Amino acid sequence: MASHDDEFEKYLAEFEPRRPRTLPNQLVPKTIWTRRLAAAAAVTLALGASLWFARSKSGSSGGDIVAVKTIAVPGRRPIAEDLPVAALTQMALKDPEQLDARLTELSRKVLPDFRRSDSTLRVLAQQ
Amino acid sequence: MGEHKLSAEDVRQLYNRHGPALVAYASTFVTDGAAAEDVVHQVFLRLLSAEVAMPDLPVAYVYRSVRNAALNARKRGLRNAPLDPERSVFEHRGGNKEAALALQKTLAELPEEQREAVVMRMWSGLTLEEVAAATAVPLNTAASRYRYALEKLREKLQPYRRK
Repeated sequence: MASHDDEFEKYLAEFEPRRPRTLPNQLVPKTIWTRRLAAAAAVTLALGASLWFARSKSGSSGGDIVAVKTIAVPGRRPIAEDLPVAALTQMALKDPEQLDARLTELSRKVLPDFRRSDSTLRVLAQQ
Repeated sequence: MGEHKLSAEDVRQLYNRHGPALVAYASTFVTDGAAAEDVVHQVFLRLLSAEVAMPDLPVAYVYRSVRNAALNARKRGLRNAPLDPERSVFEHRGGNKEAALALQKTLAELPEEQREAVVMRMWSGLTLEEVAAATAVPLNTAASRYRYALEKLREKLQPYRRK
């Protein structure tokens, strides 16, 4: 019986099952795909939100481009020229009182003087 | 029984050693060779992606997984085509295509546990002790299943054997 089986086993060994295609060399783990998907979803969401926000803003202004013009006052220099940041910083470090005085002086030039008799604030107060 | 994860190299070795036998095994459920190959591939890709905790006997696990995946594929009715003589999962060294096809067909007709025993023993190269361990049955049971399978195969393949 055993030799009978051996003989038949030899015959069966003449048959070979087909070799399946090879496995891919590199597999990206599922967790990485999940992370990539989450990142892509977050970016898409952010882009979508900003697009929606930009559209709704342009929609509220009728879609027209609003140009804001600044009117230059003749004879007045831009305030940045009187207030160089580096100089102010140095002054703040060395002499804070001088800085205070300087800022007060500059603000008088820049802001309307409410102490004048014809200043808007006084007129409004009288009314 | 403990569980561990196989390295990619372990999975590849398992695939190289048992892949062809597993395709033959899967083909007894889904008949179509390409579908059988897909089933085996799918099981090993899952192993490679390290989603699976492997029991101590990986070969038993892969046979179970291939069986389940093949049964699922059969349920879905995917490519459950009739046997194509040109595309048998077996190749006969002497080029006897009819015999190769008859072998695949006869294997599919065997009771599942006999089919499993003979494929594991003949084409996965497991000893009967290993077959018994993989199928969680006593050695005598594994040996009987194997012997019954051989008897039926011998009977069916007799007409194709060279004198």
